Formats: sequence, C-alpha cells, structure tokens
Amino acid sequence: MNKDLLNILSNSSKDIDNQQLMDYLAGKLSENEKREVEMQLADNEFLNDALEGLENVKDKKNINVFVEQLNRELQKKLLRKKLKKQKRKLPHQRWIYVAIIVILALVILTWFMIMKYQRQKG
Amino acid sequence: MNPDRFQHITDHSLLDKFYTDKDNQWLGILLHRYTMLLFGVCMKYLKNEEDAKDSVQQVFLKAIAELHKYKVEYFKSWIYMVAKNHCLMKLRDSQGKTPAMLNEQTIVPAEDSFSKQAHLDKDKLLDAMTLAIQELNDEQKQCVTLFYLDKKSYTQIADVTGFSMMQVKSYIQNGKRNLKKVVERIIKEK
Repeated sequence: MNKDLLNILSNSSKDIDNQQLMDYLAGKLSENEKREVEMQLADNEFLNDALEGLENVKDKKNINVFVEQLNRELQKKLLRKKLKKQKRKLPHQRWIYVAIIVILALVILTWFMIMKYQRQKG
Repeated sequence: MNPDRFQHITDHSLLDKFYTDKDNQWLGILLHRYTMLLFGVCMKYLKNEEDAKDSVQQVFLKAIAELHKYKVEYFKSWIYMVAKNHCLMKLRDSQGKTPAMLNEQTIVPAEDSFSKQAHLDKDKLLDAMTLAIQELNDEQKQCVTLFYLDKKSYTQIADVTGFSMMQVKSYIQNGKRNLKKVVERIIKEK
C-alpha cells in the first residue's frame, strides 16, 4: 500500500512568496519547485484565484510594476492618515497650553493681591 | 519603512501589534504582503488591469477602516474574502447580478477535516483511501495518482494525459475534495 496516499489528505500550509509565484508564471521553476507551488494550489483558494488572475495579465513583467505602484500608493495613504490624526490632536494640545498660562497668570495675580493686601494691613 | 525588516513577524503578531497601539504602519506591512495576491484575485474576477488596480486600492481602504472597527483572527482568509466580495459587488453593479456574498466577520480558514482524526489508525485510513480512490472518475483518478503518488507537475501530467493545464488543475482539486468526502463516508460506515 502506498503511504503517499495519506499526503492527499493533509493540507499544506507553507506560504509561497511573490518571487516564487513570478518564477512559476514565467516557467522558471524546476519540476520539483513547480510541484511545490501546485501542492499549495490544491489547498489554497486564495493562491489559486490569484494565480488564475495573474495568468490573465498580458505582459507578466508589468505585475511587479503594478505591485510596486499599489504599495507606494498605500504608503502615501497611510502617511496622509497619520498626518491628519496628528493635526486633529494639535488643537487640543494648544488649549492645554493656553489653560496652563491662564491658570499660572491667575495664581501670580492672586499672590500679588494677597501680598499687597497684607502690606496695606501692616 | 522597509517591510522586509518585518518578514520574520507572523500576520497574527502584526495584527496584535496593531490592536495594541492602533498604529496603521502595522497594517501597511501586513497589506504589503498580500498586494500581489490581491491584484491576482481582482484580475481573475474583473479581467481588466486598471479595474483590478483600482479595486486593490479600495480593498486596502476597506481593510484599514474595518480593522479599526472589529477584531479579525485569520487575516489571510479575511482579506481574501474582502477582495472577492468587493469584485463580486463590482460585477453585480455592472451586470445587475446578485452574487452570493460571504460573511467577512466570521471567516475561519479551511480546516483540514482529517486533523480531527489525527488519532485515527494510519492503516485504517490507508485502507479507506485505497477504496476511495477507486470511486473517483477516470480523469480524476489518473490526475490525482500522477500528482500525489508519481509526483508529477501539472505540465508533466498535461503532457502524459493530453488534458489542458486547467483541466489537470480542476481534476486534481475536485478529485482531492471528492476523496475526502468518500474517505469520511467509508470511515463512518466502518
């Protein structure tokens, strides 16, 4: 009895990286390496759909260009969100500084008033 | 920031870091990992490079917004469902069809049903498999055997059988799914 039969039932969980995927699409992998990717395809719907879609790209060289563009856009968006968040925080901080200055001014003024009152009494 | 620096950190740890400090930079690193796959999924459904790029950007935005609202356990399965649902919605809008949507908040990864039966006697499982493989149709049996037992690649199987690559892929995937069902049935019957 062939023990490899049990391999059919196990789910492979190894991740395929982008380079491996590109090499698979370009037909650059050895038969063993190809099988490794294909073992994942049988278990991983995400990878399977993605590969089918990437095969539809006319010029495969463009895939990396698109991915880099998308990553750059994502980075820009995240940076913009971060700046917006920081700007939203700033007005609150400004009010805190104003409040501290007003309180300090009041304390100093009160202290002067008390001193003046005591001097007049004396 | 160079996402490669964080290659050793798992998706789950990155999500944990995000849920701790709500810093979007963690989501950026996580999403970078899936840009190519997401673009591929969008290409599969939309079949247009510009539409696919547009959709990936929208999926990113949706992911960032949603992850701030609720906790996601299995990021990879979740982001796949977000992208797939987005494409199906887009197709529905353009074709007036109503595709079945999947609930993104209750995603769990495809479970290996046999992991539950890990304790099961290997010999019994092998017996069941030997019987089950005979129940597959000829095409599935041939492709499954060549792929899993003879360790051939899709191209080699296509050469040997004369099937197209797509047929080989489909026979293997459906064959595997059917095998699991039949083995489960045989084990129950015993």
